[in-house]
Amino acid sequence: MTSIITNLLKLRETRKKIVGCLPLYPPMEIFHSMGLVPITLWGLRDMIRSLDESDRHLQNYSCSVARRAAEFILSESGSMLDGIFAYNACDTLRNLPEILSNGLQDAGRPLPLFQIHIPMAPRSQTDAGDYFRNEIFSLIRRLEETFHISFSIDRFQDSVTKYNEVRNLYRRMENLAASGKMAFQDFMVAFRDSGFLAVEDQIRFLSGEVSRFLKKDPKQVKHPVMISGILPPPLPVIQAIGAAGLRIVCNDIASLGRFYGYSPDLNSSVEQYYVDFYENHIPCPTLLYSADNRLGYLLSLLHDTSAEGVIFVGEKFCEYEYFEFPYMEKRLKEEGIPSVLIEIAVDDEDNIAAMKNRIDAFAEAVGQNEGR
Amino acid sequence: METGKIGAGKHLTRIITKAYMDLHERAANGAFVVWIAINVPAEIFLGFENVVYGVPESHAAMNAAKGVGVTQCVKAEQLGYSMDLCSYARIDIGCVSDHGKDSPSFGLPKPDLIVSNNNNCSLLTKWFDVHHRQMGVPHFLIDVPFCYQPQKEKDREYIVRQFKDLIRVIEEMSGQKFHMDRFCQAVDYSIQGVALWKKFLEFADHKPSGITAFDSFVHMAPFLILRGVPAFEEHYRLLVEETEQRIADCVFPVPEEKYRLFWDNIAPWHQLRKMSSRLAELNANIVGATYTSCIGTKEGSFDLFPFDGTDPMHFLARTQNAYICPHGLELRKQAMAGVVRKLKIDGIIFACNRSCKPYSITQMDQQKHFFNQEGIPTVMIEVDHADARKYNEENSFLRIEALLEAIDAKRAA
Ligand code: SF4
Ligand code: SF4
Repeated sequence: MTSIITNLLKLRETRKKIVGCLPLYPPMEIFHSMGLVPITLWGLRDMIRSLDESDRHLQNYSCSVARRAAEFILSESGSMLDGIFAYNACDTLRNLPEILSNGLQDAGRPLPLFQIHIPMAPRSQTDAGDYFRNEIFSLIRRLEETFHISFSIDRFQDSVTKYNEVRNLYRRMENLAASGKMAFQDFMVAFRDSGFLAVEDQIRFLSGEVSRFLKKDPKQVKHPVMISGILPPPLPVIQAIGAAGLRIVCNDIASLGRFYGYSPDLNSSVEQYYVDFYENHIPCPTLLYSADNRLGYLLSLLHDTSAEGVIFVGEKFCEYEYFEFPYMEKRLKEEGIPSVLIEIAVDDEDNIAAMKNRIDAFAEAVGQNEGR
Repeated sequence: METGKIGAGKHLTRIITKAYMDLHERAANGAFVVWIAINVPAEIFLGFENVVYGVPESHAAMNAAKGVGVTQCVKAEQLGYSMDLCSYARIDIGCVSDHGKDSPSFGLPKPDLIVSNNNNCSLLTKWFDVHHRQMGVPHFLIDVPFCYQPQKEKDREYIVRQFKDLIRVIEEMSGQKFHMDRFCQAVDYSIQGVALWKKFLEFADHKPSGITAFDSFVHMAPFLILRGVPAFEEHYRLLVEETEQRIADCVFPVPEEKYRLFWDNIAPWHQLRKMSSRLAELNANIVGATYTSCIGTKEGSFDLFPFDGTDPMHFLARTQNAYICPHGLELRKQAMAGVVRKLKIDGIIFACNRSCKPYSITQMDQQKHFFNQEGIPTVMIEVDHADARKYNEENSFLRIEALLEAIDAKRAA
């Protein structure tokens, strides 16, 4: 947690304008190429302890991701932001930017709000290419007007290369964790510590971590499993997964694998880059048009990594994820793959013991499934 | 349909029953069946000779109003659907799971196509995906951009394009041709009916009010499942005439009306009778609601948005953000402030609804706004629109009574 705060302070020292991006997959490269620092407001679990500010605006049946992001922006930490970016994700997130804007206005520190609509109509149904290109151009124009900066395609492609490098490094780390050279919890610690760093620092930090763990010996593979959800489970739960004889070899987590899983062609124009980025994104319940590809993707990932079971990490009150769990569980069962759902919420610290019990029971089911 | 001299209440039962019977019968006789989200423009389907539509949300509301909401929810929960999910969705999934058992209308006929949208909420697309996967039926998703300011032309064009794609898909799947004249005729019936609806709501201007919001909740049903047909317009004409006569005869739902209240959220379907009579005993009347006021409008105002007679497809696209949830906090405040002033509202009940986050999520800020800026006493009660287990009558009425006291105190000040 100290690392996040240290990183934030370091960011502030750069004197660059910082744009807080509401999850999940913002067009980071645009902001960066224009001399801004985009930070995605997830992974705040360790940093945000109280929800006092958020609770003045959001009901307690909003998910922890939204509540913590709101707390971050509305409390003192939010004063380091120079703008907020959001696109249409879930029903909570589409309302959140305006609630936050109002809260900030009341607090006497209004911030510009940048918003785009990512078309959710399936591509096979409606061609929204022109519409989306226009959204991207409008965003660039608004950033130029607001911050008196300008966009350049060369700088954009440089940013694309950098963010691509970050995604590659995360992918490499995931492989290190799968091979047993790196414990998954070490991967999560590195992931957390790389949050809120400027992309150049992220590359430096992650490269160092990759080199460090590359030298280690692989540990014996236990039962390989996948985790799936919006956020990874808390560290004690990850430890419990390892202690139960399971190893996380792949993930379908929005802030991890879904985020770094795909990089478009590096030399595209800005609009083409994002058409590709969103169209071919790893399926995610928040990208409505990708719904039909999700099961196939999960099955192929399980197959490619020989994962023997799936731990669904339910973000309490996230309807997007919860509508899909019963179907996913049913289909996995039909394929002979055991799965379990653990639920994480704002007060998840109180429930670690119960989660551990579920994981132990799941490990037994995976063990019994062996050889089937 | 012959309306004869029956009252609007009986007429409503008659046309709704007939609508469900017709739907089943035509489906059985080979009509192309579409399931739609409530504000998908139903007039499009009337542009075809033999396309019928069912509305799962409205069907879920009927289940809740008839007292079987919880029964249906439990079935979905047993299938693994979390109790935190929207109760309409749970009712519908539960109902489909045993082919309409316990449903007052025996469920809906199996669809050939499912049409969702994400304007009221995006989770509905996930709910409809459940059926899409289970039944193997194609799912058409109309993507309606959420708006913080009045709907933009670029968004309208995008919506229109999707309407046209929907027509193309139905033509391809059903083998039927879309007739523009039939569609225009349907839009015409809808427009006339909606104008009468707005007239009906205006009877709340009268003191004491000529209507309660509970009447308007019940009489919304044709708007949900019978748009674009003569019976739609006829029903609202009858309702207006009847209410007009009642006012002329000095028949009021709460004759000793002392408190004029306003409701923000979906109707509490399982509580209509109980809540209205208990309020009436307190001489309180909920005279209006955001839920019913938004019909026939555009975002940011509850005034009737008239059709200018040019392009009906554009007109329907223009109204897609009207229904509270598809627009942001400022537009919501703006529309609500207008009607609260017009109806001379004494207090507002914000119905905090765990099932419907898109409706509820702005309410804490709205409540503060109406209390601090508009000086109107408000209260927040917890009520799920369709799952009666998530409602506590005594707690709610304690709060409502506190609201009435606050109104008294304000008057005395
Ligand atoms: S976790 Fe789910 S509900 Fe929460 S912000 Fe993300 S998509 Fe929305
Ligand atoms: S969440 Fe609200 S808007 Fe969405 S289907 Fe349920 S009741 Fe309707």
